[in-house]
Amino acid sequence: MKALCKSIVLSSLFIAGNSQADIVFNGFASVVAGVTTSSDERLNGYDDSIDFSNGSLFAIQASSDIGEGLSVTAQILSRGDDDWSTNFEWAYVAYDATDNLRLLAGRQRVPFYMFSDFLDVSYAYPWISPPPGVYSVAFDTFDGLGAIYSTNFGDFDANFHMIYGGNNTEIFEGEDTPDFNDLTGISITLNRDWLTLRAGYVQTEMNIPVEATQPLIDGWKGAGFPDIANNIEILKDTGSFIELGFQLDFENIIVIGEFTQLNLDGTTLANQDSYYIMAGYRFSDMLAHITYGVDDDARDRITGGVPVGVDPSLDFLIDTTNGITDGEANEANYITIGLRWDFHDSAALKFEFTSYGDDLNSNNDAGLFRTAIVTVF
Amino acid sequence: MNIKNVKAVNRMFVAVLFTLSASVSAYAEVVIIVNPSNTATLSDKDISRIFLGKLKSFSNGDKAVAVNLKFGSETRNEFEKKVLNKSSSQIKAYWSKLVFSGKGKPPPELVSDKDVMALVASDSNVIAYIDSASVDDTVKVLKTF
Repeated sequence: MKALCKSIVLSSLFIAGNSQADIVFNGFASVVAGVTTSSDERLNGYDDSIDFSNGSLFAIQASSDIGEGLSVTAQILSRGDDDWSTNFEWAYVAYDATDNLRLLAGRQRVPFYMFSDFLDVSYAYPWISPPPGVYSVAFDTFDGLGAIYSTNFGDFDANFHMIYGGNNTEIFEGEDTPDFNDLTGISITLNRDWLTLRAGYVQTEMNIPVEATQPLIDGWKGAGFPDIANNIEILKDTGSFIELGFQLDFENIIVIGEFTQLNLDGTTLANQDSYYIMAGYRFSDMLAHITYGVDDDARDRITGGVPVGVDPSLDFLIDTTNGITDGEANEANYITIGLRWDFHDSAALKFEFTSYGDDLNSNNDAGLFRTAIVTVF
Repeated sequence: MNIKNVKAVNRMFVAVLFTLSASVSAYAEVVIIVNPSNTATLSDKDISRIFLGKLKSFSNGDKAVAVNLKFGSETRNEFEKKVLNKSSSQIKAYWSKLVFSGKGKPPPELVSDKDVMALVASDSNVIAYIDSASVDDTVKVLKTF
């Protein structure tokens, strides 16, 4: 499917070139440098030696209008923390069925979050990157169909984005490829002057083979507890995701908030509740902002009905499984203060400091300085 | 030169200075123009929405095609500030969101007021803005800002 997508899009771009439809190129880039505030602190892949590749990226988008309402778009992205390997972030064919309805087929972004659509375009939002606690779903693209419908109700502009497809690209290194099938989602955005409201819902069938848990799964089946084995195995389980967000953008003040809930019941992965709220103030060509965020991950123990102390091998299964579910717990909060300076009409300079506090293990507390130069072209 | 002439020259000099400073301190006026055959009426909000890609037709149902001056030009900056109520960086960020999510693209750009007027005069779907000083009778002025 991936190869088919790419070849359809590439050949469409070539056809477009031959029939002299213009190919329009746009791009964006971020060069990000970060360092933690002391040698025993690590956060989001940074440590106490300055890192210029984590978070840096470079992207080119080629788009061509091939007439009759059809257009082809491909975006190639190269990330520093991926050794600068290039990937097709998007590659789709779009059809403008009416002035209000646009249909897409191919590789697209999953509209999980308010900033999902332009997640990597740092120029388009205040932070260097959106709060990672909230923006934490393991994948952000899918292959399939999308529909975008825009309309208005009185003074409100409304936008509905629906998707259906799947994601079968390798995410976890060294493991078998996970399969996300029957991925279905809808997001609704309402906008009126300075107020934007958003709600999103996505669900998918998850199949994530994890080699390390296979002995545990087999052990529980052998001990006569197939339900517990099924809970550990991530096979045909349904994961769901809800997002609620708002933006107030009035004169010099900007306030943004997002709340998300990820539900992975039926697996030993934690359910995750996260939110952030940001307030910013614009003056001359700068924006100063402060963000407060909270992450709460939890997974209840699944060994409730199993007799303890009866059999040493059963106790071993119980302890190992409890270790997994207990280890999924996470309670953290963070504050980020930042400054964005639009020093150039197509580029901005950003500075941020994040103080991260782990409520369960203060050894994980960390401070992180980041700076970035971000641009669109 | 005798004294009378010097005084006259001084007065002229001062008058010229006043005129120069008056024209330098007067803000450029931006006018919204359409083809003379276009009978549509538009509120300020409608004009803003057309240039932000949110409204795609005139009040009479005809398709509306917005055209911009070059990014960074003075008239465009005035237009974005007065009509769209945003700085040019905010406008750039707004369009980046749409371009890089495949949801839209900004209006095409033309270099000069003359090019804009030539396009408006030849196409009844086009709506554009120019400096008020460039207006001639080949175009119809909808609003002045």
